[in-house]
Amino acid sequence: MRAAAVRVRRALAMRSYDGLFRAAVWVLGVLLLVTLAGPFVGVGGQPDAIVGPRLMPPGAGWPLGTDNLGRSLLPRLLQGIGTTLLLSCLAVACTALISTALGVIAGYRGGRTAEVILRIGDVLYSFPAIVLAVLVAAVLGPGRTAALAAIVLVTVPLMTRMVGTAARAVARREFVTAARISGVRAPTIMLRHILPNVAGTVAVQGTYALSVGILVEGGLSFLGYGVQLPDASLGLLIQEGGLYMVGAPWLIVAPGVVLVAAIMAINLVGDSLRDRFEPRETRSLV
Amino acid sequence: MSGEPVLELDDVGVVFRSGRRHTVTAMAGVTFRIAAGETLGLVGESGSGKTTTGAVALGLRRPTSGTVRFLGAQHGGRRTRAGAIQAVLQNPHWSLNPRLTVADSVAEPLSAVEGGRLRTHHPAALRILDRVGLSASYAERLPHELSGGQRQRVAIARALITHPKFIVFDEAVSALDVSVQAQILNLVHDLQSEQGFGALFISHDLAAVRYLAHRVAVMRAGQIVELADAHRFYITPQHPYSRQLLETL
Repeated sequence: MRAAAVRVRRALAMRSYDGLFRAAVWVLGVLLLVTLAGPFVGVGGQPDAIVGPRLMPPGAGWPLGTDNLGRSLLPRLLQGIGTTLLLSCLAVACTALISTALGVIAGYRGGRTAEVILRIGDVLYSFPAIVLAVLVAAVLGPGRTAALAAIVLVTVPLMTRMVGTAARAVARREFVTAARISGVRAPTIMLRHILPNVAGTVAVQGTYALSVGILVEGGLSFLGYGVQLPDASLGLLIQEGGLYMVGAPWLIVAPGVVLVAAIMAINLVGDSLRDRFEPRETRSLV
Repeated sequence: MSGEPVLELDDVGVVFRSGRRHTVTAMAGVTFRIAAGETLGLVGESGSGKTTTGAVALGLRRPTSGTVRFLGAQHGGRRTRAGAIQAVLQNPHWSLNPRLTVADSVAEPLSAVEGGRLRTHHPAALRILDRVGLSASYAERLPHELSGGQRQRVAIARALITHPKFIVFDEAVSALDVSVQAQILNLVHDLQSEQGFGALFISHDLAAVRYLAHRVAVMRAGQIVELADAHRFYITPQHPYSRQLLETL
């Protein structure tokens, strides 16, 4: 237990990470803070209140401008960030649970079990993400549930494969063989020996899955299969803004910038985590 | 020395299938027995079937032909002989889970046999750690804080905590430098005369085998070409391959 506490403290010591990582964490922290605190403090007013003329550029009563109904963009944007983050985080939590369980089992059992699990993943993985997501939405009907299910289905195959590969490498280690010889039960071996040693991979892949999840939600909502009006999500706001792009570019720029910033920040966090857990590879960004 | 046999291999063969038609014979007609308190040294070049023999003896691999008896009974499920068979494996770097403390690693086999949390077996772990020459101050350390020799001591403590009848040492000292090797071999020797376990000592290092083994088996291409008492073997090896091995010593 003492060792676990030391590890947690080491992981939380910000000093040991580089500037990019800290900047990314700040961006995510601010996004999270405004979406959590926004509705209570009432930043920018009510998302559905009509505050002024239609399609006004940013001004005193409407810091980010108004949309086609005369609603202030700022509270809608905060609501949208909240919806997108919540939906993606929830979906990635499901993905992490499913993929970790499947990956650890596939890695430990190997042989036919692994073959079946990984082949099913390969079939899913062979579809382009957005096609698979639209398919799910078409089956389930547009809405939050469809977006959630789509993100899970899109992110599970890759994460299962990565966790499975890591688990396989751990399962070949001699301490696992020694545990088997000593008569330790398979579930105990998976929980005590395999899982803690693939936790790094789960964390890294989880952050990548989160950025994919945000993109899939954005794409689905943009196509009209995801979150439905009058709710807001980043994808939905971008889609709405796209309609008035020439006359009122602020409507697409604001949610677009937030989306890009969120995804970059999440990827940078993922890269730093990977540098920590799998130090041999290079960054994917920068 | 000539106690009851703990492990008997009778005409054991193992054939691997690689590809559709291709087969590789890893063991053929291997017969030996190991008595309580006795060490059988198993030597041979890499690829000779030593490790497969170890896996069969441990019950990790089912033989294609022949029978394996442990304490007179054929190998059943792994759980049925939990704690009675243990192993000390080759690579000291990976012989311990990097995320478990020394005390947890050592306590694990006992908790597999008797149930209960790892923590409840810490007192027993501390006793056996003391026996292998590691003080209580090592108990809460993680493997990466130990040297190779210390890790192998922990692996030995882990193997001994259940008072096994039989231990396989698979290249257990090969990765250590010579002075540490001697310490570990001494430790194994003392522990065996105390606890009377039978041992299969697999190694390519004839000098290490000479130090521990009562009898020596030489393997080549899956077969035992010579099986003899150690003192006789090192003076007058019978098989030409044995002589060749000894010359390189």
